[in-house]
Amino acid sequence: MGILAFANLSKTLPGGRTLFSSISAAIDEPESVALLAPSGHGKSTLLRILALLDTASGGEVLLESKASSGWHPQAWRKKASYVAQQSVMLPGTVADNLHTFSRLHETPFDEAEATRLMKAAGLSSMDWAKEAETLSGGEKQRVALVRSLLAKPSVLLLDEVTASLDEHSKEAVEKLLLTVGSEAKPALVWVTHDMEQARRVSTRTWFMADGAFTACETALFFRRPPTEAAERFLQRQASEAGP
Amino acid sequence: MSLTAVAFTLLFVGITVFVSMRQKLGLERDIIIGTIRAAVQLMAVGLVLQAVFRTEHLAVLLPIIIAMIAVAAWHAAGRGKGLSGIAWRIGIAIAATEAMIMLLLLGLHIIASTPQYVISISGMTIGNAMVVAGLFLNQMKRDVESSRGEIETLLALGASVRQAIQLCMKRAVKASLIPTIDGMKTVGIVQLPGMMTGMIIAGADPMQAVRYQILIVFAFTSSAAVTSIILSLLSYKLWFTEAMQLRRLGNE
Repeated sequence: MGILAFANLSKTLPGGRTLFSSISAAIDEPESVALLAPSGHGKSTLLRILALLDTASGGEVLLESKASSGWHPQAWRKKASYVAQQSVMLPGTVADNLHTFSRLHETPFDEAEATRLMKAAGLSSMDWAKEAETLSGGEKQRVALVRSLLAKPSVLLLDEVTASLDEHSKEAVEKLLLTVGSEAKPALVWVTHDMEQARRVSTRTWFMADGAFTACETALFFRRPPTEAAERFLQRQASEAGP
Repeated sequence: MSLTAVAFTLLFVGITVFVSMRQKLGLERDIIIGTIRAAVQLMAVGLVLQAVFRTEHLAVLLPIIIAMIAVAAWHAAGRGKGLSGIAWRIGIAIAATEAMIMLLLLGLHIIASTPQYVISISGMTIGNAMVVAGLFLNQMKRDVESSRGEIETLLALGASVRQAIQLCMKRAVKASLIPTIDGMKTVGIVQLPGMMTGMIIAGADPMQAVRYQILIVFAFTSSAAVTSIILSLLSYKLWFTEAMQLRRLGNE
């Protein structure tokens, strides 16, 4: 059974600009996918559509082979969890944030799992009674990811979650996401501008530019870019990254 | 107060026009239109009230109160532009508040069931509820916009729209009640309320005027709370689409 898929998906902005048109792809196993595109070409929008936080102009999104129209948005979002670039701490302490999912859905809080995830995130010494708003950016992002992982989603939609983090926090986030959920590992869709990170964390790459969409193995994408647009994109990224 | 005395009050308008001309504020036309409108509206209300106060049947007051609620709802709905169906929701919130206040006041014989009391107190209740509804919507608009990240974080964790917007609702209800509560704390010290002052000028015993003012202050506090809470419960879904996505009101 497929985890997440989209078919003939299109998005046109209110001003009339088409971000993407009739694109299709699927994730059939808990793999890690890098979603790459030049800025402003609809990466975040696609991710938000996959989390049902935005609406497509055409086509359909499927979770567990069932179209989104057949799902209640709440049930969908419990399984396909979106994490924004700027992590938002909800009012209260770290513990309050970690308890969010169990509080919202009146399910028992898995303290052992939360402790394990916090340790995996490099936050084992963190005081859970600390006000969440006082944490550093890197700590907030890791707590936000642990908060989402406690929902045990089948797919995690990551919108440039390491973009504003220092190297140490970035490493901790990657380690957390790649080693998490040994029993039920979630599929990951990473939006990133960091090509080295895309190489490190993903097995497949989705690339979007000028409304077109290609999907291929990450190793192949970097070795032999599938389109001219992909080649130009990688050259530009390489020149921006410097020698 | 004689008509000659009323005519003399035009002197105040003259002073304002003079200041506007002297300082080149360009407000003369607005001041004159405002003066004429205020005089005509108040005279018309006076005539209507004169006729209404002669009636013995409270049912006659119903269309007047409904009209007052409709105008108040329409006016407050201006604060909720982009939220379709907000006007009738405000109308229901104000009507429920008015019904509660009147049932208590008349049911417990706190006021006499005569048009003077019913219309005057209804006017104040509905006016206050209108202001509270406007404050609530203003605060909600600001808060929802500044809390988009928080709301979408909760939605992304599978929260219902009510759970996602609960904190904004709570903050907006609180903000809409603050002026009424502050007013209650300072009444009689910082400001002498209009109704009490009016009664005293009209020759009523100050202690009698104070008793009515206490009634109004307490009734206003509960009416503010009831209006704000009912409106929050009736309107929270309007901030979301049918697909449970947070709307961008500015773009619609």
